[in-house]
Amino acid sequence: MKKKNISITLNTEKREISVLPNELLINVIREELGLTGTKCGCGMGQCGSCTVLIDGAPVLSCLTLALSVDGAEITTIEGLESPDGTLDRLQESFIDNSAIQCGFCTPGMVLMGSDLLTKNPSPTEDEIRAHIKGNICRCTGYYGIVRAIKNAALR
Amino acid sequence: MEGKMTKTRILMQEFDYHSPTTLEEALSLLDEHGDEAKVMAGGTDLLVQMKQEVIAPKYLINIRNIQDLSMIEHGKDLKVGAVVLLNDALHFIRGDKRFRALSDALESLAEVQVRNMGTLGGNLCNASPAADSAPPLLVYNAKVKLASAGGERTLPLEDFFKDVNRTDLANGEMMIEIILPYPEEGTGGAFMKTKRVGADISKISCAISVRRERDICLSSKIAFGSVAKVPIRIKAAEKALRKEKVTETLLLKIGELIMSEINPISDIRSTAEYRREMAKVLFLDVFDLAWQRAGDNE
Repeated sequence: MKKKNISITLNTEKREISVLPNELLINVIREELGLTGTKCGCGMGQCGSCTVLIDGAPVLSCLTLALSVDGAEITTIEGLESPDGTLDRLQESFIDNSAIQCGFCTPGMVLMGSDLLTKNPSPTEDEIRAHIKGNICRCTGYYGIVRAIKNAALR
Repeated sequence: MEGKMTKTRILMQEFDYHSPTTLEEALSLLDEHGDEAKVMAGGTDLLVQMKQEVIAPKYLINIRNIQDLSMIEHGKDLKVGAVVLLNDALHFIRGDKRFRALSDALESLAEVQVRNMGTLGGNLCNASPAADSAPPLLVYNAKVKLASAGGERTLPLEDFFKDVNRTDLANGEMMIEIILPYPEEGTGGAFMKTKRVGADISKISCAISVRRERDICLSSKIAFGSVAKVPIRIKAAEKALRKEKVTETLLLKIGELIMSEINPISDIRSTAEYRREMAKVLFLDVFDLAWQRAGDNE
């Protein structure tokens, strides 16, 4: 296997990196690019903790080959806050609504909430639950997370 | 997900990766590498199987960048390119009264993230008996177009599935299109599945398309997933409903008939007994909804 150069836009910054064919996007993000907000939970596409946005669409980075995102725009949880450090309304809402315990599912949940609100500015509880059904939380029982997303819509 | 658990954080296997932008390039690569190559679209089944060491392709051919395979359009039939994303297919047909069973199924398939990666072609070619898109495509008489360096062929979807994770694809062949003929007037369709949690693979799933004239069932197509080695149509049940007046007694009888026609197994998601009992319940629920929708479409 040979390394190949790819260029990506990561949280609005252009980056050039060199990757092997079998490198997964999640590991490139966490290790080569040093952004550890994205988590590896199950590694098989069932827990959603590895969620990132590729060209604006939420996908699972544990099942994405780095080579396949050459030329793409990638947004991780770190990219959600403003350049001056102001938190996104969803991040504020998660804090205010006790939606975080261990925090492991949080980046994925926040990104999915953000994705939902761009498409549906005032979702019902059912719509929220359907949108996050690929993200597992072992701590909160989901109630605070659903409330956080619902309330973020009102901010 | 069956298969022994190994490392899932990294992909240990080594392979060469290609990302053709034309169908010709892809077919030429497939022709060259034969059974050492695997076509990859979303990778949501393929990469899991590679991580579990169930398969070990030496060449991965990423077909996501082939524009010609990403088209979805109305014409003489509804044509869906094999690489159309599940979410794009869902948005295209959502609200279309003619394909409710398929939109129900796509809505229930996995979750948003997987539907932004996975494709209809991939769901069919992976050929899990639990593939959610299969029962609705079967009841809509879908056909699939396959291509190789040597040419193309089209076959009915029901001839495509051969066994668990096995299809009629020959070495060097790949799926390029799914063709859905438009259902006739007065047809209604529905799909439901039972599962453990929201984003789960089905314990059992059912799709029905029924053609109705007042209280007579002119014809029906009934398909189940997760009750046999492949997604199947229950033709004995379809025959028993044909041109009959729909009554509760008849439907209960058909439910019992379906229970005797299927061959479910016990696995990590459910038991053979539960699946058999639920087949009747699911049939009644799905038929009820499809029947109502057929009435609205008359």
